[in-house]
Formats: sequence, C-alpha cells, structure tokens
Amino acid sequence: MTVTDEQGTTAARCPVTSGFKPFDHDGTYEFLAGARREAPVFYNPETDYWVVTRREDVLAVFKDTERFSAANVLTSLKPYPEELTRFLAENDFTVEPVQSNTDRPRHTRIRQSAGQFLNPRRYREIEPRVRALVQDYIADLRERAARGEDEVDIVAALTHEMPARVVFMLLGVDDVDPLQIKRWALNRATMIWGKLTEQEMIDAGHELNDFFQFCRRIVEDRKVSPRDDYPSKLLELRDGDDEILTENEIVCLVFALLLAGHEAVTNGLTISILTLLEHREAWEELVADPTLIPKAIEEVLRHSTPVMTWRRLALEDVELSGVTIPAGAKVLLSLASANHDEDRFDNPEVFDIHRPNSREHLSFGYGIHVCMGAPLARAELKIVLEELVSAFPGMSLVEGQQLDWTPTMAHRGPLSLKVRLGGSENG
Amino acid sequence: MAEVTWIADGERITADVADGINLMEAAVANGVPGIVGECGGGMMCATCHVYVESEHATGEPGPVEEDLLEFAEVPRRATSRLSCQIVARPEIDGIVVEVPSA
Repeated sequence: MTVTDEQGTTAARCPVTSGFKPFDHDGTYEFLAGARREAPVFYNPETDYWVVTRREDVLAVFKDTERFSAANVLTSLKPYPEELTRFLAENDFTVEPVQSNTDRPRHTRIRQSAGQFLNPRRYREIEPRVRALVQDYIADLRERAARGEDEVDIVAALTHEMPARVVFMLLGVDDVDPLQIKRWALNRATMIWGKLTEQEMIDAGHELNDFFQFCRRIVEDRKVSPRDDYPSKLLELRDGDDEILTENEIVCLVFALLLAGHEAVTNGLTISILTLLEHREAWEELVADPTLIPKAIEEVLRHSTPVMTWRRLALEDVELSGVTIPAGAKVLLSLASANHDEDRFDNPEVFDIHRPNSREHLSFGYGIHVCMGAPLARAELKIVLEELVSAFPGMSLVEGQQLDWTPTMAHRGPLSLKVRLGGSENG
Repeated sequence: MAEVTWIADGERITADVADGINLMEAAVANGVPGIVGECGGGMMCATCHVYVESEHATGEPGPVEEDLLEFAEVPRRATSRLSCQIVARPEIDGIVVEVPSA
C-alpha cells in the first residue's frame, strides 16, 4: 500500500488536512476554507479518499468522464460483512448500477429512457398536485396554530414526509406508508455514506432487501396493469427489448428514484427553512416579496449545500491544483467547498439572497450525470417556501435548540427543527 | 475541427472548435452571451438552446431533447437544437447558429 503510506506522511505533515472530519458537520466550512488555501487536493487516510475542494477542480472532474468513472458513487464506505453479501445473494437482491454510478455507453442508454419520464415537462405537469399536497400540510399546521400549539418540529410536520409523497406521484403509488419509505431511504443512505457497525450493517442489509423487493413488486404489478407513471413508462419504452432496458434495470431505476427523491429533498427543505430563519432579514424580504424565493433557494443551495460530497474513481493519474491523483484513487468531491470557493463567490461565507451568481453552485452536479430531479427539487422548495411565508410570516426558530445532523458523509440536514409558527395569516 | 459562428445580441462570434467538443461547451469557453449551459450537457435544462441558421445537417433531436425544447422559455422553431447535443466534427464546418434573445 505505497499510496497510503506515502500520502499518510503527507497528511501528517499538513496540519490543515489532518483536521478533516468527514462525518462531523460542525466546523466543516471553516476547515474547507483552510484546505482550499493550503491543500486544495489532499489525501484522507481515515476514509482512503482524495478530497477535492476548489470549484474549478470539482468542475473539471465532473466534466472529465474519460478519466473519472462514476462507478463508486453509491459504493458503501464500509465493505459489506460476508454474512450480508451471502444473505443478499441468496435472496435475489439483484441491484445493478443504472444511472448515477454507471459510465458511458451504458449510462447514455439508460438515462435516455429515464429522461423520457424524469424531465422538466413531466415535473411541470405534476406541480399543481405538489402544491395541493403542500397546502394540505399547511392546513394541518394552521389547525395546530389555531389550537394554540405554536411550537412544532417542522421536519416531523412537513419536510420529512412530503418529498416521499411527491415521489409516490411519479411512481403511481398511493397505498404505502410514506414513513416506511423514509425509513428505507435513510437506511440506504446510512449504509452508503454512514459508518455502521458490522451488526448494524447486516440489519440494514435486510431492510435494504425488503426495499428492493418492494420495488420489484411495483414493476411486476405495472406489467399487468400499466398506469401513467414512471415504471409503466419504462416498461413501455422497453417493449420487451433487453437492448433498451432489462426488467431488472427497470426495478433498479425505481429503487434509485426512491432513494434519490428523499434524503436530499428533505434536507434541502429543512436547511432552507433553517438558513432563512437564521437570517431573519432574508425571511422578511421573502414575506414582503415572494418573487425573490427562487433566488433565495439558489443561495441556500450554495451556502448550505444539502449534498456535501459526491464521488468519482480516477482511471488514470490526473493532476489537479498541482497534486497528482494516482490511477485507481477514490475521489471525494466537496460540493460544499466548491460552493464556497472565493475564486468564484465574493465573501462566500455570507448568505446573500441577492448574490448575482448563486446559481453557479454545483449542488446538483454538472454534466452527463447532473441530477435528474433538480427541476422537481427546485419546484418543491419554491412551493413550500411560498406557502410557508404566506401562511406563517411570523415564523421563527425556537432558540437554544441543539441540532442533530444526519450521520453521513454526503447528506447534511437536521433530524429535527423546532420552529414557532407565530400565528397564521389568512387562515 | 469545425468553424462555428454564433449570432448573439446581433453580434457574430466565430471560433474553431475541436472535434468531439459540443457547441454548448464551445460557446461557454468563447463567452457567447445567452448560452449558460447550466446542467453541463446532462439534458436537464434548455439554457443552451440555439437555432441552426445554416444548412448543415445536425441530426434530429432525440426524445428527451424534444421535451426540453418544447419546455424552453423561448419559442421553439423547426431549427431549434440544444447546442450541447451538437458535437463539432468536419461535417458541420462553417455552421452558423443563432442564440435566441431572452
């Protein structure tokens, strides 16, 4: 392991990079600012990842699909225990890479089909239903406010469950407990990006298989009774032709959607509310002029990035900011750091909803793998904020609360967030 | 290699583009106004929409591109393409594309 030895020495010499705590969200931005200045590309022995912190370098990696593979995007940070691998093999757990973790030409083929359903046009069509859904949650909150219940956990009351129901609209599912889906999605995210013990990993693996078999049942059902939904569309495009998509790939696409549509959106919603209420003047501006909401969302995505890191695998030696990343190296792209790069964003630590170039953040990635749900996520954020500033203009954070963050290296969001509704308007 | 001309804000910008580079990347690299290329060629936005003004054959838009062009903020024309889907090659040497004004 010459690579580890060599780089272990380098890391030890560099006091900046030895402060990297990939699972701990406190102090991350201060650390990253130092890294961008002094060690913009560094090796982290704890995780065996090469961390890339400057926006230009992150962008270069996203663009360079020849020398950087996406194969490790969803790889579990900790290897599966042998017992789990055996269990999954024996239980027809046939997950294979379909989108974010495949390369060309397979990626092109599969994304071409997925994009015929997951695209801005479809999202625009379901927007009125998303708004109606959000208004239902708001109505519940108004009732609570009317009962004198002023303090609520906005995660439990809104942001945790709502995105699951939006994904249900795409999947044509209406008879499932959203909280079960949320448990499965968080379970999957923790398996990939968390640091579970061996036993926790085995338990999580059993849940994972339940989740996968659930997706398989959806696809089996749509084969018999097609509807106007994602699995039915994929089956229609397949039309029995494995060269277009295999049935297993369709199950995997459904499985992937169920993960992708949750953690990031829940965290994006919660972080938006948190960040805006922490910057009261920005919240007040949105109350006075809700047309500023789309700009504010972009600044939240830049300033308080919900997906902090993304991954790639170096296929050959590549030099970035003067550092050679060796062939075979696992690469951790710090999207949070790229979004705070002072070379692109003036006073990057300042939250400013009027910043002219907030939208140049890399929170949805860039290039052939760019997030297929980005327009939908933006619509969900916009609708939720529009409804909240209209219904509860006086909303505020409960002071002195300790925030617990999702315990993963990629996703960042508070597990609960207590707010005061401050009475409701127009209610 | 292909010589590409963009007409944007009434101005003409011409550049030689190496084979394999798409016209969205080339436009961004040459500072062509109005071409944002926000998603980077992942076909999730339509911010690299152009009208092909010359007679060069650039192929038919695929189904995803069709949906995005229909959804684009500026009107779609028969000559509309997402420029991230037009890749420079000798056959399109001399191509002229117009950037729709917002």
